Amino acid sequence: MDHLTDLLPGTLDLLILKAVSLGPQHGYGVLLRIEQVSGGRLQIEQGALYPALYRLEHQGMLRSEWGTSENNRRAKYYRLTAAGRRRLRDEAEGWQKVVAAMASVLSARPEEV
Amino acid sequence: MFARIRSTWRAVTRRTAWEQDLEEELRTHVECRTEDLMRAGLSREEAERRARIELGAHETYKEQCREAQGLRWPDELQQDLSYGLRSFRRNPGFTAVSVLTLALGIGATTAIFTVVNAVLLRPLPYPHPEELVYVQEILEKFGATPFVDVNDFAAWRDQSRTLSPVAAYTDSWFNLTGGGDPERITAGLATSAFFSLLRVRPLTGRLFLPEEDRPGAPPVVILSEALWKRRYGGDPSVVGRGVTLDGKVYTVAGVLPHTFVIPAESKFDYALWVPLIANETGAGPMGVVRVIGRLKPGTSLETARSELNTILRSTRAGGPEGWVKGVALSTWQEQITANSRLSLLLFLGAVGFLLLIACVNVANLLLSRAATRQKEMAVRLTVGAGRTRIIRQLLTETTLLALLGAVLGLALARAGKDLLVAFISPNLPALEPIGLDYRVLGFCLALAVVTGLAFGLAPALQASRISLNEVLKEAGRSASEPRSSMFFRDLLLISETALAMMLLVGGGLLFRSFLRVRGIDLGFRSKNVLSMTVDLTPSEYATPKVQVAFFEQLMERIKGLEGVQAVAGSSCPPLGNRETTVTGGLKVEGQGVAMPDARTTAVSPDYFRALGIPLTQGRYFTDADRETSSSVAIVDESFARRYCPGAKCLGGRIKSWVRRKDWLTIVGVVANARDSAEAEPHPKIYLPFSQASEPYMTVLVRTAGNPKLWASAVRSQVASVDRNQPPHDLMTLEDLRTESLTPRRVNTLLVGAFAALGLILASVGIYGVVSYYASQRTHEIGVRMALGAERGDVLIVVVWQGLRSVLIGAGIGVAASIGLTRFLQTMLFGVKPTDLVTFVAVALVLLVVAWLACYIPARRASRVHPMVALRYE
Repeated sequence: MDHLTDLLPGTLDLLILKAVSLGPQHGYGVLLRIEQVSGGRLQIEQGALYPALYRLEHQGMLRSEWGTSENNRRAKYYRLTAAGRRRLRDEAEGWQKVVAAMASVLSARPEEV
Repeated sequence: MFARIRSTWRAVTRRTAWEQDLEEELRTHVECRTEDLMRAGLSREEAERRARIELGAHETYKEQCREAQGLRWPDELQQDLSYGLRSFRRNPGFTAVSVLTLALGIGATTAIFTVVNAVLLRPLPYPHPEELVYVQEILEKFGATPFVDVNDFAAWRDQSRTLSPVAAYTDSWFNLTGGGDPERITAGLATSAFFSLLRVRPLTGRLFLPEEDRPGAPPVVILSEALWKRRYGGDPSVVGRGVTLDGKVYTVAGVLPHTFVIPAESKFDYALWVPLIANETGAGPMGVVRVIGRLKPGTSLETARSELNTILRSTRAGGPEGWVKGVALSTWQEQITANSRLSLLLFLGAVGFLLLIACVNVANLLLSRAATRQKEMAVRLTVGAGRTRIIRQLLTETTLLALLGAVLGLALARAGKDLLVAFISPNLPALEPIGLDYRVLGFCLALAVVTGLAFGLAPALQASRISLNEVLKEAGRSASEPRSSMFFRDLLLISETALAMMLLVGGGLLFRSFLRVRGIDLGFRSKNVLSMTVDLTPSEYATPKVQVAFFEQLMERIKGLEGVQAVAGSSCPPLGNRETTVTGGLKVEGQGVAMPDARTTAVSPDYFRALGIPLTQGRYFTDADRETSSSVAIVDESFARRYCPGAKCLGGRIKSWVRRKDWLTIVGVVANARDSAEAEPHPKIYLPFSQASEPYMTVLVRTAGNPKLWASAVRSQVASVDRNQPPHDLMTLEDLRTESLTPRRVNTLLVGAFAALGLILASVGIYGVVSYYASQRTHEIGVRMALGAERGDVLIVVVWQGLRSVLIGAGIGVAASIGLTRFLQTMLFGVKPTDLVTFVAVALVLLVVAWLACYIPARRASRVHPMVALRYE
C-alpha cells in the first residue's frame, strides 16, 4: 500500500501541526513536507488543507504572517503557537498509545490468550 | 477565546480583505505546484492546468474556510437579513400592515413603560437613594399614616443609631410681602439635618446650620431657584437680606438649585424653605411632620424599624398610650410611589393586552403569508436547505419586522409620552423630566425581539413543516392549508377575541364608575360660582373681631360689583382640602355616642342660599347671629340621622372644639353637601363665621355669567381692603369639580383608549382571517352554488366559520374577566367587578363588531359568480 489517501479522522490536524512544528511553512510547503517526511505514502487532498489551516488558526494553534517564499513569492507562513505545541504533544502521545495498543492486539497469538 | 472572537470579527468586518488574502494564498499554492510540475517535465500550460485541477474548486474552500473561522452564523444572518428585506420590498402591503400594527403595540407599551420607568423604577435623584427611608406611624384606627407626632420624631432624632441622620419636614404656606405684590406661597419647613441628609449643595449662599432649628434661633430662609429668579431677578446679593413672611422678617441664607426636588405623591412646589423647630409650636397647627432618614450602610430596614419601635415605646411609656401602635418603615421611593403604583400597573397590564393582540394579528398575517409561500419553501427544501435553516430564516424575518415596528413604535412613544405626561402627570410623583433613557430603549428592544420570536415561531414551524411531494405535485393549484394550520388560526382568533373582551370589560367597568361618580349630586349648585381664598397674615389680623371685619367688608365690596348675584364665605370651600375634621371634642347633649365626629365649617349667613343648599328644618343664619349673641349651629342631614334622636335636631345642643365653653343650639338642618363625589357625606356642623372666625376664608361669588370674567374685579377688591393680603386659588367651582375627577378620568380614558384600540385591532384580525377562509374556499363555494345552494347558505357557512371562534373567545374572555376584574375593585365606584350591565353591553359591542368583520368578507365571497369561482385557482 503506497498511498494512505483515506486518513483517519483527526489525523490531518496532527499531521499539519507536526509539519509546521519542523519550521514555519506556507500552505503548499506543508503539503510537500508531509509527503516528503512520509516518504510519499501520505498524500493530503489539496482542497482539505486550507480549511484545516484556517480552522487551526482560528483555534489559536497556528499563527500566520505574510512573508516571501524561497522562489520570491508573497506567501502566507504558518507557525506553531504555544497552544499548538501543547496540542501536538498531547495528540502525538495519544496517537502513539493507539498505535501501540493496535500493534499488540494485532500481533496477538493464540497461545497468548 | 478572545483571539477567536477577534479573528471572527475581523473576517466579518473586513470581508473583502479577508477574501483577497485567501485568493492570494491559493494563487501562491497553484504557482508553486506549477513550478514543481514543470520541473518534472510538463509544459507550462499543462502544469498550470494540472495544478488547478489538483487544487479543485476553490470557491468551496472559501466557504469551508469561512466556516472554519466560525463565520457560518454571521454569514447566514447576513443572507437572511438581505433576503428578508427583499421579501418585504416585494410585499409592501403586508410589510406596512405588520409594521404599523407592531409599532402601535410596541409604541403604546413603550410610552407607558416610559412613565412607569420614571415613576417606579428610576432611583430618587440623591446620592445613595437606596439608603433613604420614610418613617410612618401605624395608628390603631387608620393604619399607617405618613405624618407622625413631632415628639416621636425628636426622640428618634436624638436616639437612633441605625438611621443617621433623621430629619423632618412638612408643608406650609406664607404670605410673602414687601418688594412687589403680596403673594401666597407654598413653603417647606425642614429640620437642619434635612439638606445634609439628602446631600444637596446650595446654588449660592449656604443651607441650614445645625443650631438653626432650635427654639429661639434667628429666623433664616432658603429660596428656591424659581422664586429667586422670578421675584429677585436672580440677584446673588439677596443672600443676607431680609424677606417678610407672614409679617416676620427672615434672613436669606442661600438659594437651592432648581434640580432639587422633593418627591411627593402630588405636585407641591416649594418656593422656599424655613427651619422646622421640632416642638408643637414649630411643627404647624397639627403638630405632625413627615420623617425621613438615611440608613447607616449595612443596616437592614428591619433592624432600623425595631430600633425606632423601641425608642417609640420608651418615650411613650408613662404617658397616655395613644393610638400609635408602632412604626412602619419603607424606602422613600416605595412610599412616594405607593399611590400611583396601582394605576400604572393597570395601564401596563392593559397595554400589554393590546400588544398581545397586535402580536396575534401579525402572527395571523404571517400564517396567511406562509400559505402563499409554501412553494418557495418547498423549492428551498428541495435544493438542500435544512429545516432549521428555514425556521431560522423565517424568525430572522419576523424579528426584523418587529425591529422595524419597534423603531416606528419608539417614534410613536416619543410623541405619545409627551401627551401621556401632560395627561397624567398631575397625579404622578415623577421627579425628573420623563424621558427615554437607556432603560426604556432596552425595554423597547427586548420587547421587539421577544415579540418577534413569539409571534414568528409558530408560523415558522408551520411553514417549514410541509410535505414536499404534495406542494410540488399541485403544480399550478393553490395549495390547500393543512388541518393543523387551520386549527392554529382558530386559536389565534379565539385568543385575540378573548383579549379584546378583557380589555373592553376593564374599560367598561371604569367608564361606568366614572359615569356614576360624575352623576353624583354634590348637593350644591356649582355652576357660575367663582371661588377665591384669602389667608390673612396672622400677626396683622390677630383677633376674631378684625378678621370678621375684614371679610365682611370684602364681601360687601364684591356684592357691589355689577353682575354679582350672591356672595358667601366659608372656612372650608366645597370640594376643598382644608381639613377641619375633628374627632373627639364634640359632645351632643343627652347622647352617649362614643367619640362623635363631624366636620366643622364656619360660614357667612348667605352661604346656603348662594350655593343652593336647601334648608329642611329651622332657619338659616342671619346677620343677627353675632359674636355677642347666643351661640348657634346648623347641622346637615347626615349629622341629624346619626346623632339626633328621631333625626329631630332643632333646639338640641352640642359642644364643639371651636367654642369650647359654650353649648351651641341647633337652629337649622340643611341638606347634605358633599366634600367629594366618591366619599360618603360626612356629618357636618356649620357655625356662623362671626362666632367662629378663622384668619382665612374662601369667598364664593355667584355671577350672572362665566365666573372667570369677574376674576380680576374680585381679586382687586381684596387689594382695595388691604393691599398686603394676597388672594389665592382663584378658580371656578366647576373647574374644581372637574379637577377632583381628574385621576378617575385619566384612568378611564387611558384604559378605554386601549380597549378601543384592542377592539379595532381584533376586528381587523377577524376580518383578515375570514377573508382568508373565504378565499381558500372560493372553489368550494363555486361548487356549492353550482349545485344550487342559495347565496344566504353560503354566507352563513363562511360567517359561522369565523364567528364560531369569536364566540368561544368571547366566552373565555368573559370567564377570564370575572377572574381578573377583582384587581380593579379599588378603582371602581358604585359598580361591582362582575357588573352584569357592563358585561352584557361590552359583549354586545364586541359581537356586533366581530359579526361585521365576518360578514363583510363573507358577503363578498357569496357574491362571486359560480363560474368565476369554479375557475378560480
